[in-house]
Amino acid sequence: AQIGPPGLELQSTNGVIKVKVSPPEANQRKKMWINDLYFKYNLVFWENSSHAQLQSKNIFPVDTIDDLAPDSTYCFKVQANLPREAKQGLFSPISCVQTTQKVNDLLCATNLRVLALNMDFQLLWDDQENQEVNYNVQYLLGFLKTLHDDYSDKWLSVPRCENITSTWCNFSSIISTMGFYYLRVQAREGHNKSCLSREVKVDPLKTNGIGPPGVRLDLSDTLLHIFISPPGGAADEVMRDHYDLSYRILYWKNSSDKEAEVKQKEVKQTIATVPDVAPSSLYCVKVQAFSEPYNKSSAYSQQECIHTPAGTSLPLIIFGIFMGALLVVLLVATPLVFVLYQAYSKMKYVFFPSCQPPLNIEGFGAQLFSSPYVSAAEEPVESCCVIESVVTEEGNQIDFTDYKHSKQSSRDSGNYSNDDNTAGSKGSKETLEKEMV
Amino acid sequence: IMSAFGLIQIGLILSSTTIISSLQCSHLPLQQRKVIENSLRLLDKMGKKFPQQCLREKMSFRFPTQVLQPRHKETVGVAIEEIFQHIFYIFSKNLTLAAWDGTALDQFQNGLYLQIEQLEACVIKKHTQHRQSKEVSRLKLKKYFRKID
Repeated sequence: AQIGPPGLELQSTNGVIKVKVSPPEANQRKKMWINDLYFKYNLVFWENSSHAQLQSKNIFPVDTIDDLAPDSTYCFKVQANLPREAKQGLFSPISCVQTTQKVNDLLCATNLRVLALNMDFQLLWDDQENQEVNYNVQYLLGFLKTLHDDYSDKWLSVPRCENITSTWCNFSSIISTMGFYYLRVQAREGHNKSCLSREVKVDPLKTNGIGPPGVRLDLSDTLLHIFISPPGGAADEVMRDHYDLSYRILYWKNSSDKEAEVKQKEVKQTIATVPDVAPSSLYCVKVQAFSEPYNKSSAYSQQECIHTPAGTSLPLIIFGIFMGALLVVLLVATPLVFVLYQAYSKMKYVFFPSCQPPLNIEGFGAQLFSSPYVSAAEEPVESCCVIESVVTEEGNQIDFTDYKHSKQSSRDSGNYSNDDNTAGSKGSKETLEKEMV
Repeated sequence: IMSAFGLIQIGLILSSTTIISSLQCSHLPLQQRKVIENSLRLLDKMGKKFPQQCLREKMSFRFPTQVLQPRHKETVGVAIEEIFQHIFYIFSKNLTLAAWDGTALDQFQNGLYLQIEQLEACVIKKHTQHRQSKEVSRLKLKKYFRKID
């Protein structure tokens, strides 16, 4: 099926042409193309002169053509297309109109421009003369232009930008990330004169600029920690959500020789670590935020520098620890070794004596060792009793000295005396003597 | 209408991120995902209670889900764009009976319009292949939306 020609209305005002397109089948009850919002209108126009060049432009149903030469005749024709289905409609009949002289209204605001940083949007314009001019900034939701209804009554005033004398307006309050907007400035002088400026289209996420992030540095051991605070200030959540931000970190060692090698690191998180930083050096860092999907990057942050502490000379520490350990080991090990050696020698002495038997015993020779049981010659055992009459104390004294003599003469087993029971008490005295000696 | 939209939007979220990212428009998946999230929130917010008199007229429409799972991935881009366009059209009509929150509705439509524009820029670039299957998807969707209308 072929798309029929649309309707075309033209109006020439103040050097521009206002175009109004009515969709094909506009007045039909039964429609083939139900959704007239589908159509994209292609306007073809040219100057009615000898060497005319055809210009082609995609327009909204209600649109304005400017940048035309004044006092000239222009001819227009329009077709309705369905780009998705690659269908092109028939052209409307050609309609020609003459442009008027452009009245340079000094009242109008000119050179509208938008400055946006971290979702803070400002509209700036120039005023032409130093007049008592009141400005009223208006905005329009982007989708309204695509509807066939006249949207001229759908313009709304930006809050706090109504009836102002300054040539700027902060319109962040009306901006959301859902769709785009058109903005214009209405200049008014007194009650009668007013002028509408050109429109400027604002696609928030595309127009917005990303501001620099914040940087903070910290040191631990041989690690340099970089803490990044995302750009945005109040709107940092919006920035993070919509831009999928990453960060580019530049860091270098600021040394006396000018050849500082700048290293780069790209991270997605807000914490980065630089390993193995040299001691007693000045390290400087600056960070840039960027959004890969939107191909946007911020300015670099302020340069932050930090001094790494003087390196605790490690070899000295190691040596000190080694010597200390060595000393401790010596102090503990030496007595232990000594004690062990002593114990060993005593044990050896007791259980495995290494002394030689005396020579006279050795003389016995084999006879001695042939029979293990040596029948000892019966010693004539005298049953002797040391009769001691305890007379008096003096007598005791005398006894003691006698005793001494007797004891000295018989020096053999002094420890083992053949005392009988009769000399029981004497025995005890003997032992006492022995101790005293 | 509401139940139909609920189904559509959920289906779109599930499919659009993977599908749109296959088309080479770099910021598209991210932005579309955000707009769809907000759109759902607005849809939830904008309608008040379902009008009693419409309850009798409530019908169930079977959405042709197969358009969102085609053999060729590119076709889905076309289907999604078609769906958005139809939704946009429906909401542009003067829906007086249901009490919509005007601001929310405007925002929703503005977001939807942005999505349509972006998709058009990406989808039209690759319009060469699989024309037949794209046409079939489109017709199915047109039929569905005509039923709702």
